[in-house]
Amino acid sequence: MPTIVDIAVNTEGFSTLVAAVQAAGLVETLQGDGPFTVFAPNDDAFAKLPPGTVQTLVQNPPQLARILTYHVAAGKYTQDDLIKLGQVESVEGAPIPIDGTEGFEVKNATVLAADIEADNGIIHVLDNVILMG
Amino acid sequence: MTTTLTPPKSTIPPSTHPHADVIHRLEAGGSMLPDTPENLMQIIGIYKAYAVPMDFYWRDLLYIAERVFLDPLPAFKYFLPQEYLDLHNHYAGETADLRIWRGEATAHPELLAFMDKGEVKRKLPKLLHHLWHDRINMEFAEACMKAMLWHQDMGGRFNDFLYTDEYTANCDRAIKAYFKHNPLMLGLHKLFPDMFYEKCRELSYYANLGLFWEVMAPVFFEMSDIYDEGGFKGVPDAMDFLVNGIFAIAGRPIYHHVYIGGECYELIPKAKAFTWLYEAALPYVEAVFYRTAPFRGTKSYNAQAGQVPEDQRDFHYGILYADVFPVGSAGIPPTLLMQDMLHFLPPYLQEYYQQYCRGEDDVLIQLGITFQRSMYNVTSAVIQALRTALLYPLDDTNPRHLMANRQFFEAQMDRFLRPEARLRDIQGQDYR
Repeated sequence: MPTIVDIAVNTEGFSTLVAAVQAAGLVETLQGDGPFTVFAPNDDAFAKLPPGTVQTLVQNPPQLARILTYHVAAGKYTQDDLIKLGQVESVEGAPIPIDGTEGFEVKNATVLAADIEADNGIIHVLDNVILMG
Repeated sequence: MTTTLTPPKSTIPPSTHPHADVIHRLEAGGSMLPDTPENLMQIIGIYKAYAVPMDFYWRDLLYIAERVFLDPLPAFKYFLPQEYLDLHNHYAGETADLRIWRGEATAHPELLAFMDKGEVKRKLPKLLHHLWHDRINMEFAEACMKAMLWHQDMGGRFNDFLYTDEYTANCDRAIKAYFKHNPLMLGLHKLFPDMFYEKCRELSYYANLGLFWEVMAPVFFEMSDIYDEGGFKGVPDAMDFLVNGIFAIAGRPIYHHVYIGGECYELIPKAKAFTWLYEAALPYVEAVFYRTAPFRGTKSYNAQAGQVPEDQRDFHYGILYADVFPVGSAGIPPTLLMQDMLHFLPPYLQEYYQQYCRGEDDVLIQLGITFQRSMYNVTSAVIQALRTALLYPLDDTNPRHLMANRQFFEAQMDRFLRPEARLRDIQGQDYR
């Protein structure tokens, strides 16, 4: 089975995320054993950010890595697991709230595609970049 | 001409909050400050007048944090060396990481002209200008830094890091290098190790605030240029520019480097991943706009009678609550800022103040109130940026999402329910 990174690289609509993961130096980590739960914003999600936001982050890999690791949780959590938990701790350290009242929402993002299985974890596709706070 | 805000077709009932009018305006994409041409003119004019001294503040804050460091007698810490006047702003000029202001990266020409001849418009020795207090009031910047240092627990991870073993080990290296030839100070460090660590923490806040303002100065210069070209149609446009700026720079690193004998000591490395938004901007707004502390000599408070809140989080002595009149006394930090801004007012704002109240005689008060209006607009930008980052678009069609936005706005407005808040005052133009 492909890894989380393999899936992101080979799926259309994730080029910004892939470029960001590369710039932040997280490729090796996300190809590791994990398992990880990755909340993956698609290209449209990144495009919603005001101009300059991604540029500044890409210029500063540690800061970019911090934002990206807010999209990752240690462990493999399916949609059902997450809704039951109501909240999961991110690798960044801040909690990610989950809401299952209407569909599947992760913080202020809606999950567009859930439970994409990878060799080292699971991916849920988001329509927004989520931020700590 | 003002921007027309089209309220979204609301699927939720109107707010019953005492500041419901302001909440509905925020929900329509507006600012806490009403959208009038007079307000727009005032806030942009004051942003420009603020940006020039700010161009000094950020350079000097970094100079003190990076070079003056632990100097036991820092008598010349306000004498900015040429190297720091020439220091390239990371967000202005052709060398910028992200060009926010199209002007130059080095110190602003109006600042250089003022530093050269001062208010007296005469070229005198630097020391005379300094002693005559004909200079940029750097004490204001230090008062803001102290507010951040004192309140500390305002979100972000910056303050927590200052109490880690990693930080003290970094400080230790720098302290020993700095006092390499000073056995007396090294002896003091051995006897009272916390003393210099605490001083380093303060200096790290100098760096934090310097890096924060390095961004804000070009933002305000650019806003002034856009306004001069007729670019902003109303207050919401000016607020949106700030919102976009907050996002664009959110990921800027916050760090503290010290240069001793040509070597760089990283007290807070960039690799700690501290960011402009979480570790500088939000704590700054909380400490300076909302909390600060009562200014000495302005008013007497009886702590036993509960006139000073027990919890620091309830402190409400910032610009959003200030009665600008009593702080108009000499030496009070906001007055120092007003005096600094007075030197760089654009002509249209000078003419405006002449028409009202006592004209030139109370211009510091009038511009202080303009500053208060302008900071309500900056705070609105912060509130809208947080709503964008953490909640939902204003035109979201899901009532549950709109209600979450509503609760967020209401919680923010709760902070302006106390009688000292100036939110109601700034709703009209007669408050001057």
